Amino acid sequence: MRYADASFASRILLALAVALFASAGSAHAHPHVWVTMKSEVIYAQDGSVTGIRHAWSFDDMFSTYALQGIEHKKNGVYTREELAPLAETNVTSLKEYDYFNYARIEGKKRKDAFNDPVDYWLDYTDAVLTLHFTLPLKAPVRTRDLEIDVYDPEYFIDFEFDEKDPVKLVSAPAQCTVDLVRPTDAVPSVQRLNKSFQVSEAFAGMGSHFANKILMRCP
Amino acid sequence: MLFNSNRNDAVIFIIAVLAVAACVLCAGIDVTCAQGAFGVGRAPHFAPPDEGGLLGWVLTKQAAYYRDFSGMIRASKTNGTAVYALLGLSFTYGIFHAAGPGHGKAVISSYLIANGETWRRGIALSFASALIQALAAVVIVGIFAAILGGTAATMTQAARAVEIASYCLIVAVGLRLCWMKGRGFLMELHGYNSAKLPDYTSHHDHFGHADGAVACARDHDHHHDHHPIHAHEHAVCSGCGHAHGPQPQLLSGPGGWRRGVGAILAVGLRPCSGAILLLVFALAQGLFWLGVVSTFVMGIGTALTVAAIATFAVAAGSVARRLAGLRSGIGGVALRGLELGASLVVVLFGLLLLMGYMATERLFGA
Repeated sequence: MRYADASFASRILLALAVALFASAGSAHAHPHVWVTMKSEVIYAQDGSVTGIRHAWSFDDMFSTYALQGIEHKKNGVYTREELAPLAETNVTSLKEYDYFNYARIEGKKRKDAFNDPVDYWLDYTDAVLTLHFTLPLKAPVRTRDLEIDVYDPEYFIDFEFDEKDPVKLVSAPAQCTVDLVRPTDAVPSVQRLNKSFQVSEAFAGMGSHFANKILMRCP
Repeated sequence: MLFNSNRNDAVIFIIAVLAVAACVLCAGIDVTCAQGAFGVGRAPHFAPPDEGGLLGWVLTKQAAYYRDFSGMIRASKTNGTAVYALLGLSFTYGIFHAAGPGHGKAVISSYLIANGETWRRGIALSFASALIQALAAVVIVGIFAAILGGTAATMTQAARAVEIASYCLIVAVGLRLCWMKGRGFLMELHGYNSAKLPDYTSHHDHFGHADGAVACARDHDHHHDHHPIHAHEHAVCSGCGHAHGPQPQLLSGPGGWRRGVGAILAVGLRPCSGAILLLVFALAQGLFWLGVVSTFVMGIGTALTVAAIATFAVAAGSVARRLAGLRSGIGGVALRGLELGASLVVVLFGLLLLMGYMATERLFGA
């Protein structure tokens, strides 16, 4: 019994307890929903940002799932009106998750930055369901440095920018620029849309490794 | 010093180290997956990041497999061989998917350790709960979508109701275990204190009192009020569920299955949202039957992984029991403490799940 003293036995028990306890910290194994996003940042005349307009296209399986049991007249065709109740449900449900949009103004995270969505609807084209909605900022933001991150902290939903047409600035002052950071970008190589931006700045205060970051800069 | 004892001791020591390592690895899978949620396994089209390693690879594989489902189901409409590819994919996906968090691995493992169950029962529990889980998904989609033509929102609500019931059951199973194991622990502690650590030289391999030994525990009540435990416990309990060597009467017969039913339902009722999505998709393609077969094949894959992990848990548990058994008095207290601890972990899991901190299934919108 040289080794089997109480301290060793209790270390085993402790290790077991820790192992079991640690496994309590479970999260999703992998995403079940994939979203391809196209976004537009909307500027007011005075150069302040008033909100962001999103178009989220769902993957094949989730598109089908979401349409299950939705009444429609023509086979395979869903009109915007037929999809209106579903759009309502989507937008209402998303509120609990802050619409997966997180604003940072000059590096500081803002809670409750957005009002409830406006101008929302669903569109079904080529077997792809797309949710369109506009998130107005509670107060227009006029700053040198605004960042909007889009991600699901629980990673049930995988967000990805559209390859060709990820982000547009709408009626932005000429000097304003936008950069994108995709979660697939291996640190520290940033997808560059604009050369006037320093990589190190993009990663300053970066919290989540898998956020899609829209970085808006005005002089 | 550690290895100059006799060979058996050395062997036990090595097994103990391996078992704990295995257990930590299992937990590590869960933990890393939690972190994985923050950086690994993004999408199938790029290499897993370094920090993910093996687990990143598992996650990436899962995501890739999962994304293949819709295409394969579509292909199955016109191409007979695609059906076999789909079933193969379902099986592989099941294996990988269960390696990630969820699917009751932690609950099953804690339950097995608390009860000192046999590895055979561990495997049986794993398979039963995985098949119940597949069945739950099929029943929900079958009733609400295929028969009633309900919407995704209706199904989500149904799934949620079942999920909550399942979490409540986990808490109930855990509380029941706590009640039994807590009494065992207090009795053992009482016996230890009264006995003031008498010096026993003979060690009984009395580890492995199964839940089936409830009757046993009841017997104990009458016997060791003020006596040291180990001397007669073995005699009283002989044949009452020693963990080594599976005993047929524990695996079948009255009380054999019934005793595990609570745990099986608690773990298995919660349907897997991946399976629900797949079934609805198959239904929309007019191939519901294929979705059903695929879900059950996936369940078999899941069961294999969960059974492997459950076997590790049983091994680790019995090593701890053996070590505790080597030391009378305090060893018995530690053993009962382990059982009580594992029971508390079951309750904790149930409560955390119920409170939504671990809400593993969430289908936004729809």
